[in-house]
Amino acid sequence: MKHTLGLVCAAVLIEVSCQNTPEPFAPPVQRPPLEDFRPYRISTIVDMSNEEAQTHFVQDFTSIAAPNWRWTGLRPTVRVRVSSAENLRYTIDFAIAEATFQVTGPVTVSFLVNDQMLDRALYNHPGNQHFEKAVPAGWVTAGQDATVAAEVDKAGATAADGTKLGMILVRIGLAQ
Amino acid sequence: MRQAAAALFGAGFTVAACYASGALVIDQLRATLRRDERIPLAFVLGAACLHLAIFAILALRIAYWPVLVALLAGTILAALGTGAWRGVRTTSGKPVAPLGKKLRAVFGTISGIFAIVYLVNAWAPEVSPDGAAYHLAGVARELRFHGFEPNPTLYAMLSQGVEMLFVPAFAIGRHSAAALVHFAFTVALALAILAYGRRIGKPWAGAAGALLTFASPIVGASGSSAYVDLATAAIVFAVFYWTEVWDEDRNEHKDDQRGLRLLIPVGLLAGYAYAAKYTAFPIAIYALGFVAWRSRRLRPVSESLRPVLVVAGCALIMAGPWIARNWIWYQNPLAPFANWVFRNPYQHIIFEQDYSEWLRSYGMPSLRPLALEATVRGGYVGGIIGPVFLLTPLALAALRFRSGRRLLLAGALMFPTYFANIGARFLIPCLPFFSLALGLAFGEAAPLLAAIMIFHAVASWPPILNHYVNQGCWRLVRFPYKAALRITPPEEFLRENSYGYGMTRLIENKVPAGEPVLTMTGIPDSYTTHEILVGFQSARSQALAETVNMGWSEFLQPTAGRVFQFPERIARRMRVVQTAQAPYPEQWNVHELRFYYRGKELARRLEWRLRAWPNPWEVQLAFDNSLATRWRSGEVARPGMYLDVDFGREESVDEVRLVTSSDFEHIRLQLEAMNPSNPAGEWEKIADNPRQVSLAVPPGIRRLATYEIHARGVHYLMIRDTDYGAGDFRGDPEAWGLKLIGRDQEAALYQTIW
Repeated sequence: MKHTLGLVCAAVLIEVSCQNTPEPFAPPVQRPPLEDFRPYRISTIVDMSNEEAQTHFVQDFTSIAAPNWRWTGLRPTVRVRVSSAENLRYTIDFAIAEATFQVTGPVTVSFLVNDQMLDRALYNHPGNQHFEKAVPAGWVTAGQDATVAAEVDKAGATAADGTKLGMILVRIGLAQ
Repeated sequence: MRQAAAALFGAGFTVAACYASGALVIDQLRATLRRDERIPLAFVLGAACLHLAIFAILALRIAYWPVLVALLAGTILAALGTGAWRGVRTTSGKPVAPLGKKLRAVFGTISGIFAIVYLVNAWAPEVSPDGAAYHLAGVARELRFHGFEPNPTLYAMLSQGVEMLFVPAFAIGRHSAAALVHFAFTVALALAILAYGRRIGKPWAGAAGALLTFASPIVGASGSSAYVDLATAAIVFAVFYWTEVWDEDRNEHKDDQRGLRLLIPVGLLAGYAYAAKYTAFPIAIYALGFVAWRSRRLRPVSESLRPVLVVAGCALIMAGPWIARNWIWYQNPLAPFANWVFRNPYQHIIFEQDYSEWLRSYGMPSLRPLALEATVRGGYVGGIIGPVFLLTPLALAALRFRSGRRLLLAGALMFPTYFANIGARFLIPCLPFFSLALGLAFGEAAPLLAAIMIFHAVASWPPILNHYVNQGCWRLVRFPYKAALRITPPEEFLRENSYGYGMTRLIENKVPAGEPVLTMTGIPDSYTTHEILVGFQSARSQALAETVNMGWSEFLQPTAGRVFQFPERIARRMRVVQTAQAPYPEQWNVHELRFYYRGKELARRLEWRLRAWPNPWEVQLAFDNSLATRWRSGEVARPGMYLDVDFGREESVDEVRLVTSSDFEHIRLQLEAMNPSNPAGEWEKIADNPRQVSLAVPPGIRRLATYEIHARGVHYLMIRDTDYGAGDFRGDPEAWGLKLIGRDQEAALYQTIW
């Protein structure tokens, strides 16, 4: 009887302890290959929500701003510096305001890096816009300042200080 | 000043409720105690009962301020209303001679001065390393959630018997209130030791025992912080005390039923000792052994077993909830220990080994000077008990007394667990026994005992300590009365005196609510509302920290490949088996395990089933296509470990590759397949001795690492300037995919930018 009790106790102990094995797992979500990774490098993307954003402003930024965006003039320009010039992508998130669009109608926005025209796009409706395009090699030098700009061809309104309002900018810069 | 008053009120309210609770129990038991022993014993016994009530409140997740206040107030009112507070229904114990004038002068003066120093330190904002960190971080967390919430980290898995009392105190008076509750235990312990000396007719021995314990430098440091060591010691000594009360009462009254009642506190406190600190469990052995021995002549035999069963049953009432909590939540009733028996996904076995190894040595090259280290130097073991305890061998002279034999037996039972953690704090539960025995050893030689007490007090006085202890010895170094009264703003005091407090402010100011923060070393996280994932405190944190460290540590990086090539095989299951016994602390690690056929990798289909032994819970890390994560065996590599893939159908395979690292060298691998035509399902060896190849470090390994922690919901990383790899982060945060969002004097706070 004692032996039986001992065996039962031992079996229970083994059951509750050593055999704590989960069911087999399926393969998890596969990570993309390294070469496809495209993280934004934050110091080369000037985000209007960032307290330090103003230190990157070169021209055409107004004081009309919310925590996440800022009204700009016709050619908002920022200065950034990249530690590597490889695989850079021009990146911008902005909005065309309903109110200005009613005045201007479709607008053309030019995208510039170091004053060189990267591309131009026509926007036929107001709202949030995103533009992204690879920067040709040689346009930017690692370790040196580069200017990144967007130019709107028409102004729809004028700020109190007389600045012509171009777009509502969320972020602009070079991604890698 | 309001904060100071709140702290005092929170502590006083909790302590009063403890006493009230104990008084109610003693009232029911009709225990015969003198007033001087009733106060400390009722307080400690009540603490045990109250802890259980607070445990229930937290388990029910109703830990709201009014509920806690109602519990405390209700207990006090019940004690006052029934007269239990004053013990009107219990008879007083045998009167003893009043303390002599000289004894009162020596003991009263010295203990009074030390008590004031301790009180002021306890009252000041909490700056102790563990108090401001895990002891109170858990309490603060429970109050935020209004109850228990699983938290599978090293310290949260420990039983929190004393911290339960910190819950209401903290809710009212924050950190200092908790420290003051612990201070109350320190005083209660001294009073109990003194009372015991009087009980056995040796007041000088009792006074010496009380003072040697009370004035011990490590007792001062721990007893005035939100720690649990003095509470544990008080509980342990209370177990001993109640066994003496039971034994004496039993001899006097020859009434077994009455005797059985007095065993209830013995059992409750023995269980509470375990709930307070695992290492205090030997006192339960003492209690059970003592009761069994003293009951051995009862007949029939079942009668002799009853007292033992009463003690064991009552102990289970107190310890059981903690054991059950750990078993239910963490799959390990003894968590965070015994992980090799109760395997679970929350702690790696190798970590337990590493940590235990460290606790057994604290980095001391040899344990030979341990006696000097624990009594005089204190640099390695974080404090000293005082040079007077070098006289402890003389305590053997107390064997000539019956009480001396019992004290030494209890002390000897408590002592061995010290070697599992040689920190000076871990000697505290033994101190009452050895202090009293030392007092007894000298009989009632008052001048000699007075001289010893004065010597000990002088040697333990903080300014004197500075002359002989090691710089790193933990001790009281301030008399912060301005901070205690909040004349000095707490913020200013904490920034000056709490290592890591600035980091908690940085986190509070910069990290959005609800976001966890990964750190490599602990911080005083009771001062932040964020979950702090300390890199070594859980299996999850270890995996995260290792992933981050993979960015800069070449030993962890995926630079070694093992390739099995063999004639085409059709298999449904294949596994790689490790066949060698590696030396400690070498583990088997695999970043990726891939299968190929004619040079093309088999796509990992959802139908695949992955198994690993040991550490089956992390097997997916070897199959996630990320070179910044890896599966680890979680224990020293030994034959029979495997990674096993069931393809879900028959697959043709002619090559298997493992991507691994260079931080192990004794691993031997063998590839096995399960032949689909083999009905017995036996494994067949396919190949061994895989070809070893060197692999280049992936150029974006740093960004891969932060991508992984980001993907696991951790977006903030706090790196101390003294952490390994800190310079790498600081040098080029961009390369890490990190943005520096804040700095204080000793650490940087980064945000992932994925």
